[in-house]
Amino acid sequence: MTESPSSDLSQQPRSQRVDPAGLVIAFALAALAAVLVWDASRLPSTSMYGMGPEAMPLVVATGLGILAIANLIDALRGNLPPRESTDPKPVLLILGGLALLIAIIGLGGGFILATSILFVATSAAFGRRAILTDLIIALVMSTLIYLAFDRLLTLSLPAGPLERLL
Amino acid sequence: MKPFSARLFGAVVALALAAAGPALAQQLELKIMAPAAPGGGWDQTARSMQQALVAAKIARSVQVTNVAGAGGSVGIAQFVNGAKGDGNQLMVNGFVMVGALAMNKSPVTLEQVTPIARLTEEIQVIVVPANSPLKTAQDLANAVKADIAKVTFAGGSAGGVDHVMAALFAGTIGADAKKINYIPFSGGGESLAAILGGKVTAGISGLSEYEGQIKSGKLRALGVTSEKRIAGIDIPTFKEQGIDLVIANWRSVVAPPGITPEQRKTLTEAVEKMVQSDAWKDILKQKGWEDAYLGGDAFADFLKKETTRVTDVLKSVGLVKS
Amino acid sequence: METFAALAHGMAVAVQPMNLLYALTGVFLGTAVGVLPGIGPALTVALLLPVTYKLDPGGSLIMFAGIYYGGMYGGSTTAILINTPGESASMATALEGNKMAKAGRGGPALATSAIGSFVAGTIATIGLAFLAPWLVDFAVRFGPEDYFALMCVAFVTVSATFGDSPIRGLTSLFIGLTLGLIGIDKLTGQARLAFGIPELLDGVEVTTLAVGLFAVGEALYVASRRHHAEEQIEPVRGSLWMTTEDWRRSWKAWLRGTMFGFPIGALPAGGAEIPTFLSYSTEKRLTKHPEEFGKGAIEGVAGPEAANNASAAGTLVPLLTLGLPTSATAAMMLAGFQQYGLNPGPLLFAERPDLVWGLIASLFIANVMLLVLNLPLVGLWVRLLAIPQPWLYAGILVFATMGTIAAKPSVVELSMLAGFGVLGFLMRRFDFPIAPVVVGLILGPIAESQLRRALAISLGDPIVLLQSPMSATLLGIALIALLAPFVLKGLGRFKASED
Repeated sequence: MTESPSSDLSQQPRSQRVDPAGLVIAFALAALAAVLVWDASRLPSTSMYGMGPEAMPLVVATGLGILAIANLIDALRGNLPPRESTDPKPVLLILGGLALLIAIIGLGGGFILATSILFVATSAAFGRRAILTDLIIALVMSTLIYLAFDRLLTLSLPAGPLERLL
Repeated sequence: MKPFSARLFGAVVALALAAAGPALAQQLELKIMAPAAPGGGWDQTARSMQQALVAAKIARSVQVTNVAGAGGSVGIAQFVNGAKGDGNQLMVNGFVMVGALAMNKSPVTLEQVTPIARLTEEIQVIVVPANSPLKTAQDLANAVKADIAKVTFAGGSAGGVDHVMAALFAGTIGADAKKINYIPFSGGGESLAAILGGKVTAGISGLSEYEGQIKSGKLRALGVTSEKRIAGIDIPTFKEQGIDLVIANWRSVVAPPGITPEQRKTLTEAVEKMVQSDAWKDILKQKGWEDAYLGGDAFADFLKKETTRVTDVLKSVGLVKS
Repeated sequence: METFAALAHGMAVAVQPMNLLYALTGVFLGTAVGVLPGIGPALTVALLLPVTYKLDPGGSLIMFAGIYYGGMYGGSTTAILINTPGESASMATALEGNKMAKAGRGGPALATSAIGSFVAGTIATIGLAFLAPWLVDFAVRFGPEDYFALMCVAFVTVSATFGDSPIRGLTSLFIGLTLGLIGIDKLTGQARLAFGIPELLDGVEVTTLAVGLFAVGEALYVASRRHHAEEQIEPVRGSLWMTTEDWRRSWKAWLRGTMFGFPIGALPAGGAEIPTFLSYSTEKRLTKHPEEFGKGAIEGVAGPEAANNASAAGTLVPLLTLGLPTSATAAMMLAGFQQYGLNPGPLLFAERPDLVWGLIASLFIANVMLLVLNLPLVGLWVRLLAIPQPWLYAGILVFATMGTIAAKPSVVELSMLAGFGVLGFLMRRFDFPIAPVVVGLILGPIAESQLRRALAISLGDPIVLLQSPMSATLLGIALIALLAPFVLKGLGRFKASED
C-alpha cells in the first residue's frame, strides 16, 4: 500500500513511541467510566431484594477504568497497530449527507428528499461527479421505495412536500 | 441490484397481503397513532381500528403512524404537542401508559388528552405450579402474611399491570406492599419457565397467556381479577374468595387536547359505531380480545380513577416518588 | 418415531407454495445482499426486519432461515473473489480462497464452498431436528442462576475469540456493555444513562447499533481509504467446475468442518469463528499438499466453509430451545420472533410446533435452493460486485438508514445511527474489533437481569449460583474457557504466517 502524504488525519511515523491517538482512547474510556459512576450515584435505592440498579453500572465502570489504564500502557509503549493514511474529505461528505438527512427528516422534508441527498453525497464522496444524474437515479429509487412501503406495507415513511404529490 | 430486490420483495409482500379493498365512505379521514413499534398490542389495536373503520365505511381513509418509545411517553408527548385541536386524530393507549408516564416523570399527562372510549380489556390471573402446596388465593395470602420476602411473584415489566396487581394483592390482604418480592421478566415465555421450574412461588399474567398451561394442568390458577365469574372459565374470582382485587389490562383510544365539543362528539360516535360493526366483532374474536366498550364521560371518569389508583400503588412500592 | 412425524408435518408446512416462495426469496436476498462487502447475514436480517412486519410469523421466519443460510454463503463469495470476508465467519475462507481465485481457480473455490455449505448445512440441520427436542426437556429446568452462569461462559468465549488483542476485544465488549445499560432498568423501572431524553428510555436498539457499526462504519472507512487502491475484482478464470482431484481433496474436509461447526455452533457461546479457524488449522495439518497452503489449497476453503455453515445450523439450537441468541444473526432472528410476541425458548416447540418444524424443514429446502441458485449463478454474483463503487456504497447507506427511518423515524434514533457509524469508522481505523460491541449490548442486559433475578429469589444470597448443579458446571466451564486461550495460543500463529 502506498501512503499519500497530503491527506492525513493523525498519521504517525512508526518510529514514534507514544501514540497520541492511544492517549485519547484511554482518556475517553476513563471519561466514560466517570459518567457511569456519576449516573449510578444518583439512582434512588428501591425496595428490591438482592442487587440494585446501580451495581451493574459500577461493575462496568470498573472494567472501563481498568481498560483505560491498559490502553494507556499500550499507547505509551507504542503498541498500537500501524495505520494507513486516511482522506477526511469523503468521510466529512458522507457525514454531511447523514446530517442533512437527519435535518430534513426532523424538519418534515420527507423521506424521498432526505434519502436522495444522502445518496448523492455518498456517491460524490466515492468520486462521482455527475451529480445531476445521480440525483435523478436517487429520486426515482427513493420514490419507488416510498411507494413500496406506503402502498404495499402500509408503513408510513416520513412524508414531506414530494410525498404529498404522489 | 437494489431496485430489483426491492421489486422482488414487493411482489412477495403483495402476494402475502390479503388486499383490503378500499371502500368509498364518509368524509372522515383519520390518523391513528400507535405510541409503540409496529407489531405490539397498541399497534395491533390501531391497525384493527383502521381495518374496522374502513370496512364498516365509517371513515374514508385511516392512516396509522407509529411513534415508539418508553411505554408511550414519547408518543403521547408528540400527540399532545403536535395534534392539538385536530379533530381527525386519535391515539391508542392503555393501562401500561398510566404507569409509564408516572415512572418516567413525563411532562405530559393523560389529563391533557380528550378521552374517547375504552375498547378492550384483559382479565388477570395468579397461577402457581401444579405441585405447589398453595391451593387457593387464601393460601397465598397466608403465605404472604407469614413471610412476605419469601413469596416471589413472577410477572411482566416493572410498573406494569402485573406489578401493580402484585402490590394491590399485598395491600388488600393487609401486608406491606412495599415489601413484595416481585421479579419482572421480559416475556411471558420466560416467566412461565420460571413458574413451571418452581423457581418462583407464583406468577401473574393476563389470563389468555397462561390459559393453555392452566387447561393442561401444568399450572393451577388461584384466582382471576374479574368482578364476577366469566362464563366458560372455571376459575374462582378473588372477590368470591374474600379478597377485593379487581383489575384489568385495558386498552382505549383518546383524541388530542383542544378539540371542539362537536369534534369530540363526531369521534365518539365514530368509535361507537365501529365497536358495533361486524368487522370489529370479527377482529375481537380473531385476536381473542374481550370487548369492554365504555364511551364518553363514563370513560373519562374511569380514566381519572384508574390514574389515581395506579399512581398511588406505584408510590406505595417506591417506583414513583411522592 | 415422533420426530419423523413432526418433521414430515413441518415439511408439509414448508413446501406450501407460499412458504417455498418465502424460502426462495430469503435465499436469493440473503445471497445477493451477503455478497456485498461488509454486509453479512446479520445486517441482511436487520435490514429486512422492518420490511417483514406484514408477513405472518411462519412465513417471515422461513424467509429469515433462507436469508441466514444465503447470507452465510454470500459472505464467502466476496471473501474468495475480492478477499473481503462478508462477515467474520468467512475470514478463514479468504485465506486460501482468495489465493485460489488469484491463481484463476475461483470457480472450483466457489464450487467447493457451495457444495461444502450444502453438505454441512444438511448434516447440521438433521442434527438440529433430532437433538433440539432433546435439549428442550432440559432447558425448562434452567433457572435465572443457570442463565447467568451460561452468560459467563458466553462472555469468556467471546472475549477470547474476537480480535487478536485481548485488551482491544475487551475494550469493544465494555463499550457494548455500557450501551446496554442505557434505558429503563428492567427490574426497578429506574432510568439509567438516559439524560432526560425520552427516546433513550427504551435503550439502544440492536439493529441501530449493528447497522451503524457495520454498514455506515464500513462505508466511511472505505471512503476514507479510497485514495489508496480501488478494490479489484478477480474474474473467474478457467473451469467453473471441480476436478476429480478437487472432489477427492474436498469431501473429508467438508465432513471434518461439519464436525467442528455444528457442536461448537450449538454451544451457546460457540460462534462461527472458532470452528472455521479450527477447521483451517486441522486441514493444514492433515493435508498431503502442505506446500499448497498459503498459495491456494482447496481443503483450506472446503473445511472452513463447511464449518461456517454447520455452525449456522448449530446456532439455531440454543436460539430455538433456550431463546439464546449466540450470534448477531441469531440476535436478529430473536428480534424477529419477538416482533410477533413469540418467545423462542423451551416452550416454542410445545406451543408452536407447526412453526418450529416448518422452520427446520425449510432449512433443508433453503439448503437445496442455495445449491441450485449458486452453482449456476456464480457469474452473476461477480457482476453484482461490478456495480460502480459510488452507487454501491450510496445504495448501502440508503438501505441502512431506511430501516431506521421506517421503524423509528426520530431525530434521536437517526443521530444514534450516524454516531454508531462514526464509532464503527474509528474502531476500524484504530483496529478495535466491531462484533464484541454488539455482543456486549445483547448479552450484558441479559446477564445482569438474570443475576439480579437469581439474587432476588434467594434474597441476596450468592450461594444460589453454586447450588444449582447446572450453574456450578457452567461456571466451571467458564473458568476452563478463561484459561484455555492461553493453552491454545499457538493456534493463532498461522495468522502471522500468512503472507
